[in-house]
Amino acid sequence: MIKIIIIFMTLIYLPYSIALEPLAEEEMQQVQGQGGVYLSGDITINDTGGPLNNTADTSNPAIWQKNCTTTSTDARCGARLAVNAGDGSNSGWLVLDNIRGRFSFEGLTLTTRAIDSGFDGDGATFNNDVLEIGLPNTVSYGDVSYTLANSNQARPTDAGFQQTDIFTVNINGDVSLRGNLLLFPTGNP
Amino acid sequence: MKNIKLILCAVGISISLSAYSLEQLSDSSLSRIQGQSGLTVEQSQLINIGNLSYTDDGNSVNVEGLRFSSQTDANATASRTYTLDVLEDGSLKIKTDIKPTQMHVDGIRINNSAASFGDLTLNYEAITDFTIRGMSTGGLEGNFTTGISNAELIWKTNGYAMSFDNIGYNASIDNFTLEYDVTDNTKGFLRTGLALGMDNFNFSFSTGALSLGGVSLGELAGNLALSANAQIFAGGRLGDEGLTFHSQVNILADPANEVRFTDEGNSLLMGDFSGALNLTNLTLDVESDHLAIGFDQMDGSFNAGRILIGDSLKPVGSIELDFLLNDDSVNNRYNRLQLYPGIRQPDFDAMPSEIKSYAQSFYTGLSPTSEGLSMATQWNLANAELSYIDDNRRVVISGIESYGSANTTIDVRDKKIAIGVSDLVGSYSIDGLRVGSKTAPIQGGAELLLSLEVFQAMDFDIDGFTEITAGGVSGGGIRIDGDYFFNNANIGLSVDENGDGIWATGVNYDIHLRDITFDVESDGLKINRGEQWSTMDIANLRWGSKTSGRSLGRVKLERFEQNSSLAVIPGGAGQVCVGATASTEAACGGAGGRWEDRGEQGMTVSLKAAFANAGLTTDGSATARNRLTWENNRDETSPGSGEYVNGTGTQIIFDNYSTNDGLGTTDSNDYGLQANLNIDVFETKVLKKSTGADANGVVGNIGDELIYTTSARDSYGYVASPDTAQKTLRPLGFAVQGNVSFKELNIDAVQLKHPNVATPQTVFYGVVMQNLDLTTNLTATPIQ
Repeated sequence: MIKIIIIFMTLIYLPYSIALEPLAEEEMQQVQGQGGVYLSGDITINDTGGPLNNTADTSNPAIWQKNCTTTSTDARCGARLAVNAGDGSNSGWLVLDNIRGRFSFEGLTLTTRAIDSGFDGDGATFNNDVLEIGLPNTVSYGDVSYTLANSNQARPTDAGFQQTDIFTVNINGDVSLRGNLLLFPTGNP
Repeated sequence: MKNIKLILCAVGISISLSAYSLEQLSDSSLSRIQGQSGLTVEQSQLINIGNLSYTDDGNSVNVEGLRFSSQTDANATASRTYTLDVLEDGSLKIKTDIKPTQMHVDGIRINNSAASFGDLTLNYEAITDFTIRGMSTGGLEGNFTTGISNAELIWKTNGYAMSFDNIGYNASIDNFTLEYDVTDNTKGFLRTGLALGMDNFNFSFSTGALSLGGVSLGELAGNLALSANAQIFAGGRLGDEGLTFHSQVNILADPANEVRFTDEGNSLLMGDFSGALNLTNLTLDVESDHLAIGFDQMDGSFNAGRILIGDSLKPVGSIELDFLLNDDSVNNRYNRLQLYPGIRQPDFDAMPSEIKSYAQSFYTGLSPTSEGLSMATQWNLANAELSYIDDNRRVVISGIESYGSANTTIDVRDKKIAIGVSDLVGSYSIDGLRVGSKTAPIQGGAELLLSLEVFQAMDFDIDGFTEITAGGVSGGGIRIDGDYFFNNANIGLSVDENGDGIWATGVNYDIHLRDITFDVESDGLKINRGEQWSTMDIANLRWGSKTSGRSLGRVKLERFEQNSSLAVIPGGAGQVCVGATASTEAACGGAGGRWEDRGEQGMTVSLKAAFANAGLTTDGSATARNRLTWENNRDETSPGSGEYVNGTGTQIIFDNYSTNDGLGTTDSNDYGLQANLNIDVFETKVLKKSTGADANGVVGNIGDELIYTTSARDSYGYVASPDTAQKTLRPLGFAVQGNVSFKELNIDAVQLKHPNVATPQTVFYGVVMQNLDLTTNLTATPIQ
C-alpha cells in the first residue's frame, strides 16, 4: 500500500511537474509545518523473473516460461511495457522490454506543509499548503536495465509478432538527489 | 453482570408468576416434599401470560404471549425442583434444577405499537445454586453459581428465524452484596438506590452455531473474569420514572479471558485480555414509541495480549485501547440509543438518487406492521488511544475522535439478516502517531494508516444496505451483499493538527458488493470478493483547508472487479535483507545490504485485485468498467465560490484498464494484480539530511543517525556510528515488505476530452504491461 501511496503521489506529481514554479534553495528552508513520513529501503523489479516466467504454472504461454535467476540474461525475464501511440491497429508499438533492477535509498520524506513566509516575501503571498517530497541524498542503482524497442504487436504471444530492439541500458552506481520537491495546485481546477 | 441481572430477573419472574398459576398438587405429589434439613419443592409449570407490561411515565413496554412450557409441547408442563436449606451461619441456600423448558414471547411492543420486535424463544435447562444471608450492616450478601446447557435462542421476524444453537453458559460469583444505601444527586435531587457488588464474577459461554436457515455462520465462545459494582436508582433521563445505572467493571487480568469465533474448526481469537469499564448515568426510559437508552459517560480500557487468526503458532501481536465517550452539550453531541419496534423505513425521496432505488428494493415487502428492530443512534467519542504492539514494539494511533448519528433497521429474512443504515452522518479524525510508548511525543505519520485503507479524517454521510447470509466459501462463514453511498464526503489524506493538509472533498462514493465471503481458515482470515463495482467521484482534491484550499481538480475513479480476494495472515516478514538479495545475515552484509530480523509477530495482507474488462455486472443491473479521469479548468458555479461544475473542463482519461493472464482481454483473469504486504513494527534507520540544527533545535551532521536517548523515546540526538545498544533505540515505524505482481495490466486507451467535443480523443490506443514482479523493503517512520 505504501507503494500505492507513492504511485498515487507520483500520479499527482507527474501532470503537475509542468506547473512547478522554481524555488531557490534558501526558499526551501522556509517551509514550515507538521509531521510526515520518512521512507527508506529498496525497490526491486523482476529480481527472479515475473509471474509469466513461472514454469510450474502451465497456464502461462510457452514463450514466457523461463527459469529466471538474478543473473539470467533471458529477455523474457523482465517486465514489459508496450504503448500504441499511433492510430490503433494500423501502427506499431513503442516498447520498454526486459525491465529489471534494484533501487535503494535512505530518507525519502513525504510531508504536507504550510508556506506563509520566506521566499523573499513570496511565501506570505503564497500562504498555502504544499506536499513536500524530500529527496533522498543518494539513490543506488543495482543492475537496473531495460531495452527500448519497436514491435508490430503488443504481446510476444500475438500472431506474427516481430520486434526490433533499438538499444539496451544498464545502470549501476549512485545518483545524488538533494533538495525538496514542492507540489501544489495552481491554475483553474 | 448484565447476564446475572437478566437471570435473576428471569428466575424471579418465573417464580413469582408461577405463584399465581400454581397447579393443585395431589396427595401423592405432596408426599414427595421431604425435609430433614430443608425443603424440596418439585414443580410442574405451564405458564401463559397474555400481556406483561412495564409502564414508565404512562408509556408501556408490552410483552405479549409470555409462556413457560415444555420444549416439545407448548401446552404441556415443564418441571423444576427447588431445594431450600438454612445453613449453620443462617444463610438461605436455594438450589434449582430446571428440566428442559421453553420460554417464548410472541412479541414485544411499545404502547401496543402496530409492529413488534419479533418473537423470541429460549429453550434451556439449568442448575443454579444460590446462597444468601443478611449483612451486619444491613443488606444481603451471598454467592451464586449457575450452569445453563442445551440451550437455544431463536429470534424470528416476519416468519424467518436466526438462532444461537447449543448454548452453554456457566457462571459463578464468589461473593455478591446487595444494599439499599447508595445515593445519587445527578438529577438535581437526592435519591437512594440499590448497590450491587460482585467479587470475582467468572463466566464462560459457548454457542455450537449461530445459524440462519439452518446454515451456520460459525461458533462463538468465551471466558471472562471480572469484578463489578453497580448502583441502580429509580427515575430515568426523561420524565419522572425510569431507571438509572452507574457501574464500575474491572476485567480481571486472567490469561483464560478470551473470545473465540470458530469457522469450520479454525478460530479467530482475542485472548489474555484485561481492562476496565465505567458507566455514568446509564438511563432507561420508555417513550411513546421507543425505548430510550443513554449514558453521560463511558470510559475504560481494553487490553488484548493475544490475537490469533487461524494459526495458533503465529500471534498477530497485541492491542490496547483507552477510550472516553461522553456527552458534549456545547456541540450538541450525545451518546444515545433509541429502540423502536418494527421497521422504520427511511424517507426514500430525501435520499440521493444513486442509492434510492437500492434502498427501495431493500425494503420491498415490508410494511409498518412488519416485525424487526429499528434504532436511532448518536455517539460522541471524545478521545481514544489505540496501541498496536508487535514483538514489544508499540505504535499508538493517538487522538481518535468521532461523533455522529445514524438510523438502523435489523430484521431476519429468508436465510438472511438484513441491516439497513440510513443517514449515517458524522465525522472522525486521528491526531497522529506516538511510537515506542503511550507518552512519547505525538508525531505526524498517520498517513501510514492509508496502507490499511484507514483515512486520517473523514466527514461522512452514508446510506448503506447489507444482507448477511450464512456460509462462506467452505462450510460456515459469512457472506455479504450490499449497496452503499457516501454523499458529499470529505476525506483527509494527510492532515495536520489544524485540520489542514490534502483533502478529497465533495466525494460521492457509490459502492456495490456482491457475494463477499468471510472465512477463517487454518492460515488466516480470507475475504473473497465475488463482484464489486464502484465510482469514487472527488469534486476537488484540495491542498490546505478542506473548504477553501487550492484544488487540483476533479478526480473520478471507477472500479469493476470480479473474483478478487483479500487474506489477512498472521506473522510479518521475519528475516529480511534490505538493499540486496541474500538469505543469511553474513551474505546480506557482504552484498551491501542491511539484515533485519523483524520477529515472529506482525501481519501479512495478501490482496488479489482482478480488474474486469468493461461489461455488464452479473445481475445485469449496471454497466461497469475501470476508468480514471482527471478533470480541471472547469467552470466555477459562481464567481469566487470555489466550487466547480463537473464536465465543463478538460479531462484526461485512462479508460477500461483490466488485468488478464497474459494473452489479452479475452484471456482468463485468475491471477489479477496481486499485492502481498508483510507488515511489522520495527526500528528504522533515519539519517539526518543536512548539517546543523533540525526543526526541534537538535544538532547533527548530514548522514548521522537519529537515536532516542531514553526507552520512552521522548528525547533524541544524532549519532554518527550508533553502537548495538543505541541501534535498539532507533525510531520505530512500519516496516513493509511488499510485492506487487501481475501477468498483464491492459489499458484500452488514454484519452483527452475537451468540453466542446462530445467524444474524447485518443492519445494512446493501448498500453500493455506484462510480467511485472516488483518487490519492496520499505520502512516508513513518522517524522516530527
